[in-house]
Amino acid sequence: MAEERRSRGGAGSKVRGNARGAEKGGPRRGMFRRRKVCKFCTDKVDYIDYKDAKMLLPFVPERAKILPRRISGVCAMHQRKLQTAIMRARQLALLPYSTD
Amino acid sequence: MSQVRQYELVYILAPEATEQEVADLHTQVEAIITRYQGELVKTENWGRRKLAFRIGKHREGTYVLEVFKGTGELTKELDRRLKVIDSVIRHLCVRVDEDLRLAERTRARREAETARRIARGLPVGGRSRRSDDDGGDDEPIDRAEV
Repeated sequence: MAEERRSRGGAGSKVRGNARGAEKGGPRRGMFRRRKVCKFCTDKVDYIDYKDAKMLLPFVPERAKILPRRISGVCAMHQRKLQTAIMRARQLALLPYSTD
Repeated sequence: MSQVRQYELVYILAPEATEQEVADLHTQVEAIITRYQGELVKTENWGRRKLAFRIGKHREGTYVLEVFKGTGELTKELDRRLKVIDSVIRHLCVRVDEDLRLAERTRARREAETARRIARGLPVGGRSRRSDDDGGDDEPIDRAEV
C-alpha cells in the first residue's frame, strides 16, 4: 500500500514536472524577435534637433507620450537626447503634451 | 565677464500679427542683441504654423527663429523683454554651442575611424548600408512651410 502510494505520488510529481517544462518552453518556442537597433545610431545622427517635429513624431505615438526605449530600441544616449528634444518641442507647441 | 555662447531663440507670435509687426519685433530683438555686444548669426521665419495645442485662445502662430552669439545677460534681457510683449505668445531660448560642439566632435571621430578602416582595408563599421552619405545629418527636413 505504502509503496503504491509513494509510486503514485512520484508519478504525479513527474507529470507536474513535465507540465512546468512545457510552460517554460512555451515562450521560447517559435518566438524569434528581431534585435532592435537604435535608429539614430544607424542613421548617424549626432544632434537631435528639437525644431524638427516631423522627425520626433514617430517617438510620440497616439497619446503623445514618449515611446519607451524598450519598444523603440533607441540606445540610452540617444533616448536622453530625444527626451530633451521632445520636451523642448512641446514647449514650442510643435508637439502636443497629450491627446485624447 | 560672462562667456559668449551660442543660443537659439524661437518665439511664437499671435496669428493676428501683421508682417510689419513681425519685422518690427525682429529689429527690436536685433537691437537688443547688438546693445549687449552679441552677434546675430542667422534668422529664419517659419511663417504661420498650426500649434499642437491651444495657447490661450490661439490655434496658430507665426514662428521666428534667431540664432545668435552672446552672454547670459543678453538672454536674460531678451527673456524679460519677450515676456512683456503681448503679441509673443510663447518663446524659448536654449544654449546650443555645447551640443553642436559635441555633435561635431563625434562626427569627426567617426570620420577618422572610417578613414582609418579604409586605409587598413577593413570593412567599414556600422550596420548602415549607406555609410558613404553622411551629409544629410544636420539638415532638418522640412523647415520652411510657406
